[in-house]
Amino acid sequence: MVSASDGAGPAMLARKPAGRARRRWRGRLGVFAAQLALLALLLAAWEAATRGAAVNAFLFGSPGAIASALIAAARDGTLFTDTLVTGLETLAGFVLGNLLGTGIGLALWYSRFVSRVLQPFILALGSIPIVALAPIVIIWFGTGFASKLAMATLSVVVVSLVIAYKGALGVDPDQINLMRSLGADKHQIFRHLVLPASLTDIFAGLKLTVGFALVGAIIGEFMSSDEGLGHAIFKAGSLYVISKVFAELAVTVALALVLSALVHRLERALLPWRHDLQ
Amino acid sequence: MSFARTIAGGGRAAGEIFAATDLGKSFGEDDAAPVEVIRSVSFALARGEIVSLVGPSGCGKTTLLNLICGLLAPSRGRIAWFGRPLAGTPERVGYMLQKDLLLPWRTAVENAELGLQIKRVGRAERRARAMGALERLGLAGFAGFYPSALSGGMRQRVALARTLAPDPEVLLLDEPFSALDFQTKLLIERDTARLVREEQRALLLITHDIEEAVSLSDRVIVLSRRPSRVITEHRIALPGDRTDMIQAREAPDFAHYVRTIWNELELH
Ligand SMILES: Nc1ncnc2c1ncn2[C@@H]1O[C@H](COP(=O)(O)OP(=O)(O)OP(=O)(O)O)[C@@H](O)[C@H]1O
Ligand SMILES: [Mg+2]
Repeated sequence: MVSASDGAGPAMLARKPAGRARRRWRGRLGVFAAQLALLALLLAAWEAATRGAAVNAFLFGSPGAIASALIAAARDGTLFTDTLVTGLETLAGFVLGNLLGTGIGLALWYSRFVSRVLQPFILALGSIPIVALAPIVIIWFGTGFASKLAMATLSVVVVSLVIAYKGALGVDPDQINLMRSLGADKHQIFRHLVLPASLTDIFAGLKLTVGFALVGAIIGEFMSSDEGLGHAIFKAGSLYVISKVFAELAVTVALALVLSALVHRLERALLPWRHDLQ
Repeated sequence: MSFARTIAGGGRAAGEIFAATDLGKSFGEDDAAPVEVIRSVSFALARGEIVSLVGPSGCGKTTLLNLICGLLAPSRGRIAWFGRPLAGTPERVGYMLQKDLLLPWRTAVENAELGLQIKRVGRAERRARAMGALERLGLAGFAGFYPSALSGGMRQRVALARTLAPDPEVLLLDEPFSALDFQTKLLIERDTARLVREEQRALLLITHDIEEAVSLSDRVIVLSRRPSRVITEHRIALPGDRTDMIQAREAPDFAHYVRTIWNELELH
């Protein structure tokens, strides 16, 4: 067995020295400050342009008006409920779509025959524009949460399926041979090799599909709904309250950023061997 | 090693591990133009024996190894393990390729455990055995490292530890030592030779390194260019301790064997 001193030497080297972490943190802070400055500059230019009447504030909104719209929405509580509703629809569709897609995609690895049979159907399904499905989805699932969930799920499922299946097929055949030479059956090859090997691709898929789920949920809300960010944007747009549209858009973007940051966190936590992520 | 003489005779010789008879392999047999890789190869391996296969690059050595352990189906010929025709993959075989094929999401010791885990050995026992294998290869301090944090030679040694941890009777190794520095290489060759000779296991080694083949082996089989067949089979008789790789190189006949095999590879 290893003695304590044996394990300590090289293991110490693997740990990040505190000084480097601090320096990296400082570097990130610099980038963040520059990004903030750029944003401020753009907003200032926009504001100046609308005030100077070079740009029509009624058609193009203005940062000041957007800020007031945000504050108003925050005061009456619609900002919070709309974000929550859309966030929940997105998250639920994202999880359901990826569970279904990844599950089916990986299951197809088990049978070459089934996967060959299904391939054209999957491609056909994948080429249907999801927007075109929205009216049917509303008819089938009503105007509440279920139809938004369905839209978000549909926007995710095929992409997730294809990515998981390609990931599973991409496993090195020599690697599979090695497992077989160790006496692994198909289930063990799947569990110990194919599933973890596909995780990198699956996570790339998660990052991609979190945005798709949000788009799906918002399209669902556009079609028919009485709450959610999509609903707020649609309503403000049809009333020509452009600043309100921009305000809700900004919240939507923030929601998208938060969701993809969460996926990134999850990836880092679940793939500790990926040094490029740490 | 006289009991090892019955080469591919069909009948079962005492101590015979496997025998390949008139093996042939073509890829893409259903296509219009199949690629014949192996024409006809026959040879056998006996308990306690080390046999090396040498041959030009691309002549089908790796393919031959995959045929022998049932990962590829031969186009022609027979393979018998322990006197019985091969079905599936043989038991208690340690198979290692040129590529280390470590799983990047497993640490060194978790990689070394893979075979034991597949055989459903309990957690504590498999950890102990994997650590033992790593220690033997000088990697005890790196057990918790991911492959991405190891050097090429270290990764190759982890792969060797993974091969040895399940305690295989038969080793089928495809250029396992090519990524090692000379010093480490001789030490690991010595360990491997001991493992095989003292514990009556068997080793089939594929190598490009003629000196390695001669210093380590009882027999060296020279293969021709594609489609490959056996050119010659040399029985290596060197005096002294056959687990000492330096001593083997100092033997008077060593250079003679190396030159002969080198010439044969040149000619064919
Ligand atoms: N699955 C396959 N389909 C078609 N051709 C293949 C396949 N696998 C191997 N070959 C061909 O068979 C030949 C022998 O390959 P193999 O890997 O066995 O050679 P090798 O002797 O191990 O070479 P090296 O010494 O370079 O490792 C090569 O020409 C290769 O292109
Ligand atoms: Mg090879």
